[in-house]
Formats: sequence, structure tokens, C-alpha cells
Amino acid sequence: MPDIFLLLVGLFLPLFPLSMVFNALFNRVQHVVLRCLLLLGWPHIGLAIIHSTDTNVPTWIITWALATSLLYALRMLALRGVGQWNSFLATSMWAMLWLTTTDLNQSMHHVYAFGITAPLLLLALLSAGLEKRFGAAYTDLYGGLAQSIPRFSGVLVVVILAAIATPLFPGFFIMLKFIMDTSVAMPTATFALLGIWLLWSWAGVRLLQGLIVGPASQNNEGEVSDLNLMSCWSYAVVLIALILSSVYLSGGLL
Amino acid sequence: MMSKLILFIILLPVLSALLTHLLQGQLGRCVARISVAATLLSVILSGVLLWLSLSGHLVGESISISPWTIIYFDSLSILLALVISLISLIVHIYSLRYMAEESGYARFFMLLDLMTASLLLMVAAADLISLVVAWHFVGVFLYFLLGQDTRSPSAYRYAFWTLITYRIGDLPLVLAAVLLFQAYGTWSLPVIFEQLNQSPNAHSVFGLPLPEVIGILIALAAFARSAQFLLHTWLPYTMDGPTPVSALMHAGIVNAGGILINRFAPVFANTSDVLQWVFIVGFISAVIGSVLMLVQNDIKKSLGYSTMGQMGFMVMECGIGAFSLAIYHLIAHGVFKGTLFLSAGSVIHKARKDDGVPKDELYTFVVEKRPVITRKPWLLMAAITLIVPLAILIVSHWLVAEDYFQKQGAIILLFFGWITGAQLIFATYRTHATNLWRLVMISILSFAIVILGYVFISHAFDVYLYPDAAFREKLFAAASIEKIRFDILVALITITIVVGWLVAYYSERNRIGKHPRYTGRLWTMFYALISRELYMTDLYTLLTRTILSSANKLNIWLRWN
Repeated sequence: MPDIFLLLVGLFLPLFPLSMVFNALFNRVQHVVLRCLLLLGWPHIGLAIIHSTDTNVPTWIITWALATSLLYALRMLALRGVGQWNSFLATSMWAMLWLTTTDLNQSMHHVYAFGITAPLLLLALLSAGLEKRFGAAYTDLYGGLAQSIPRFSGVLVVVILAAIATPLFPGFFIMLKFIMDTSVAMPTATFALLGIWLLWSWAGVRLLQGLIVGPASQNNEGEVSDLNLMSCWSYAVVLIALILSSVYLSGGLL
Repeated sequence: MMSKLILFIILLPVLSALLTHLLQGQLGRCVARISVAATLLSVILSGVLLWLSLSGHLVGESISISPWTIIYFDSLSILLALVISLISLIVHIYSLRYMAEESGYARFFMLLDLMTASLLLMVAAADLISLVVAWHFVGVFLYFLLGQDTRSPSAYRYAFWTLITYRIGDLPLVLAAVLLFQAYGTWSLPVIFEQLNQSPNAHSVFGLPLPEVIGILIALAAFARSAQFLLHTWLPYTMDGPTPVSALMHAGIVNAGGILINRFAPVFANTSDVLQWVFIVGFISAVIGSVLMLVQNDIKKSLGYSTMGQMGFMVMECGIGAFSLAIYHLIAHGVFKGTLFLSAGSVIHKARKDDGVPKDELYTFVVEKRPVITRKPWLLMAAITLIVPLAILIVSHWLVAEDYFQKQGAIILLFFGWITGAQLIFATYRTHATNLWRLVMISILSFAIVILGYVFISHAFDVYLYPDAAFREKLFAAASIEKIRFDILVALITITIVVGWLVAYYSERNRIGKHPRYTGRLWTMFYALISRELYMTDLYTLLTRTILSSANKLNIWLRWN
């Protein structure tokens, strides 16, 4: 694969420091639809470029990708902005797609990319919902969402769990696949993957605790509207669809 | 057909959780009755299944639904399904009134149901993915149960400790699952175990035989779940959660380590050194848990460390190859610790009226006109600790097996009974009594029951859980150590018990608390160390802050992109 292609793929399947481009762009774009489009399209461009050339990915790229993923997983721990958290998690997850560039066919590769991105799309929508209600989507700013907007909080909890690869969401099975692919050939990569997974959980719990825990802010009570029942069911349907599709594709419903 | 009952038992709490969530608007607080009824039904069905299993009406071992949805209905899963659903039912009933004033009443019962379902799936999972999923879910649901009060940041802080320790424990299990799949090409545990037994050394990984690596990983996962030393700090601090959750956690969830080790018994039977390390970790946890328990002034925290000590014992039992004994231990511990937690509230309530500080003996005799209380004779109590186990050893020789004296595992079992019994005798020796001989008789009886429990009940559990005598021998063989090391260990335990009695005698003669200057200083230093819980929590807090501050610095350097 020519170097220019590698650089280009490194931009879309983010490798540090090229990954900073996506994160800067995501933070600059404020409109929720544009953010969702960015999340939906970005890794697929990288995958399309990779599959358009038949060259093997060098091993050092995989090490670089894992280092990028680890770096962003670690940095997520100190984030307070929900939007930024979302883009860092996307970066950390998409960098892992380099691991399967050699043994997956193109369509399956795109399914993987979509599987890990889908919960992030829902989180982007929820982040926009928070901005609409409070003017900003930051942890430890208002807190106590479980008290003031319980339905929204419930959906937020499940979406964050889905985003950090909790079973039975697609991320869980994709992480299992990554670990299976590396466990024999690259044990160090396996340990790195497990460490990254742990950091995601840690970051996810910190984000949740900063948003839903605590007494309801008196300013919020009665002023902030909760998620309506229709939206709540829509989120539930999408999440159930994600679970069913991932269980089906992994062979659990055969 | 009857074997499919186990599937229904697992799905029942899931269905109940769903109904509880959907009907909470219509039924209000009465919705909890759905949850209780479903759990009661689970108990009845589990009881039926156990009866079928004991009477030999169940044929087969597992049901396969898909490549990674395989459910065991073997003796281990059936027995534990009954235990879990029974403990869950007690917690459900207790919570009906206990949680009545709390917000999120329906959510609490929904989470209890989901937790019960996860635990049931964990014990019945016959494939690696279901096991990993259930193992992971237990941690997630426990986090939300402990954080039932969403207004309390401290409840969530400690719930986070639990979750992160559980996640640390999830990872070795995931790795073990993946390595087993890579080696055998299937997720099915029965198939893997069968192939493993046929040729244990067919595969190697990281330069070691596969069973050794898997054994280490499974043990690590079990250590995190069962609060073994270095991974224990979450357990005593999770007391901000509701009392029923503490009861469920200490009576059921924390035992998962022992269950996991038992599930992977065929792997451990083919290891050479892993069980010895398991024993050492269990021993350290038992000692440290028991010591830390003694210095706590908060009843729930004290019970938390007591659980750590008990889990240490359970892991030690696995470490000596007495796997079924660990199951007996976890059931017995679950019952008594659950009761203690559920009654902790009334103890606190009683303590508000009476501080429990013993009154001066002269005061009670002269003012309250109560008879003088006496302590049991030292020599008699010391003699009981020696004579009763010896008598039971001889009886066991007649009743259980002719060659009982020659079995290393049996001797160790007896030693476990002896240590536990000696602890009991020490405890009763410290209590003062008005009717001396009545207490002596109770002590002898309790001691005999403890040792009989270890010898006969463990034998009954052995026969039910591991009917293959050759496999039981193999487990003991995997855990056995060289004769000289074994003899040294036996001698050390004997010396510890004898020294314990001598210290008790010496303390009584010189009145406790009056130490010479040098030993007094040492004692104070030791007390300071254990009252700070060996500085483990401080160390972990420091480590956490360092990681978070590094992450923050990285973000600043990289301009948050």
C-alpha cells in the first residue's frame, strides 16, 4: 500500500496524530445531523480506501493503531463534555478496525464499523438533547438527571452501556472477535485490547455518574421536560434491534 | 422435557423484570408482588428439578439451543439454582417493606430480578459466551443495585469500586474463553472438558500447557469476584447500598468465585501448580479478612471483612482440591451471612438503647444481684479442641472409608474442620457464662457438628456433585503437595492452635491489655496498620488519582483533540 494511501486511511481509521483532525472537526461541528453523518461516514471512507488496494497492512501500523486506541481510551477518563467523550470513544474504537483489515471481507468490515458506531449515534442524539435542555452537555454541571428526567436518564444509561461494549450489544461481540484474532498471534495486542476495554468501562461509569447521580438541581425541577414516551420507545426499539442483530450475526440465535 | 425446566427458571425472572417495568404505572407499588411471585415460582421449580436430579429422573447434562446458548442441568447448576432463587426470594420478601419508603421501588425489583436471572444463567451456562455474558451482567446489575439511591454520590462512588474490580475480573475470563475456543474450536464447555480430559497436554499457550494458563485465568477471575487479597477493597465499602442488596451480595454474588472454580474443575484437575497458588491466596485473604474484621467498629463493615475471610476459606478449600466442600461452604455462608445482614438493622436499633459495653462484674453482683459469671476452664476447652477431632477421625475411619488415615485430602478436610472448630471454641471461651457446664456442652456439640459437617456433609456433597470417584481423586492429586511440605503445614497449623491456647492462658493470667513496653509499641504499630486497612485503599486512591491526572495532562497538552 503506498504511503499516501496509508496516510489517508490513518485519517479515517484514526491513527494519532491524524486522529486529531476528526476530533477537531467533530467538536467544531455543532449540528446534531452533521455530527451523526460524520460518525456514520468517517470510518467507512477509510475502509473503502483500504479495500480498494490489495496490499497487506504492515504490523507496525497495528501497534500504532492500538497505541492510538489506548491513548484515547485513557484520555476519555478526564473528559466532561459528552460530545467530546463520544468522539474520543469513536476514535478509540475505529483505530481497532485496523486489526481485522487482513482477514475480513469488505462487507463484514463495514458491518463491524457500523456495529461499534451505532450506539455512538444514539449518544450524539442524547447529547444534543442535553444541550437543548440545559444549554450544554457536561458532567458535574447540573447532575441528578435520574431525579429530574428519569426517562431520559434510563435511555442514557443503556446507550452508554451499549457504547462501552457491554454484552449483548454489537461492541461486545466485535471486541471478542478482535481478542480472538490477536490472542494467539499477538498476545501483547490482546492484553492491550483488554486494557482498553477496561478503560472504556471506567470512562463510561465516570460519565454516567457525572450526569445522573446526585440530588436534582433546584433550577431544573419542573422546568426541564423529560423524554416523551414515543422517543423513549424509539430508542428502545433501536437498542433491541442492535442486540438482536448482534446476537443473530454472532450465531446465538441460530 | 423436564430438563427444559432450567431454561424456564432462568427466563422467569427476566419476564418478571419486564412485567414489573411495564406495569409499574398501572399497579403502583403492588407491582413488586409480580416479582416475588416469579421468584417463588423459581424456587418451587428449582426444588422440583433438584428432587428429579436426586431421584435419578434427569437424563443428560446440558441442552443446546445454538452454538453459544447451551444450558447445563447438571447437579452443580441444579443445586445452585435452588440456593440462588431461595436467597433471592428471601431478599425480595424482605425488600417489600424495607424499600417501601424509597424512591425507584419498581426499578429496584426489576434490577433484583435481572440480577437473579444473571446469577441463574451464570451457574447454568454450559458455553463460554453465555458464561462471560452472565459474569459481566452480574457486575453491571450489582452496580445499579448498589446505586439504588441515585441522590447519593457516595453510594455510586463505592458502587464504582465494585464495578471496576468486577471488570478487572471479567477480563481474565474473557481471555480464558477465547483461548479455549482457539484450542478446541467450540464454545461448549462439556465438549471442551471431554476433549481436555482425553488429552490434557494437547495444547499449549504462552509456552505453558493450556490447562495451567486457563487455571490461572479462571482463578484470577474468581479472586476478583470473591474479594481475595489485593482485589478485596470494594467489599467492605459497599455498605451505602440498601441492606437487602448487601445481603444478596454477601450471601450470593460474592460466592461466584467458588462457583466458577467448581465449574472449571475438569481444567483444575489437569493442572499441576495452580491449586497450590489458589490455596496460598485464599489463606492470605482468610487471615487478613479475619484480622481486619476484628478492628472494625461498624457492624456492616465488620461483616464485609468477615465475608472476605470466609471467601478466603472457600478459596482455600478449592486450593486443597475439596471443590464440593467449597460449595457446601458457600451455601452455609450464604445462609448465615444473609441472615446477619438482614438483622443488622435491628442490631443497630438495639445498640441505640443499650451500648453493649459489659458492666463491671462487682457492679452486676452487688447492685443488679445477678450471679457471678465465670469463664470456662482453660484446660478443659484446650482438651476439647484436641479430643473431639481425634474421636471423629476414628469414627470416620469406620464409617466413611477404611483408608481414611492415608488420604491427604481427608486429613486436610479434617484440619479445616479443626481450625474452624478451634475458632469456635476460642470464641466461646472468651464469653462469660452463668451456667458453665451448659456452655461447655454446647461448645462440644457445636464443635462436633462443625467437624462432622466437614467430614460427612462434604462427603455427601462430593458424592452428589462429583459422583466419579476417580475424578475426585484426580482433583485431590492436582492439589496435593509433597509429603514433607504437607507434614510441615500440618505441624504449623497444630503449633498455631496450641500457641493460640497458650496466649489465651497467658493473657488471662496477666489480664489482657497489659503489655510490656516493647511488645506494647509493636502492638500499637500493628493496630495502626490494620486500623488503616493495610493502607490498601489509600494506595488505590493514589493510583486512581495519578491515572486521572495523567489523562487530564495529556488532554491539555494535546489541546483536547
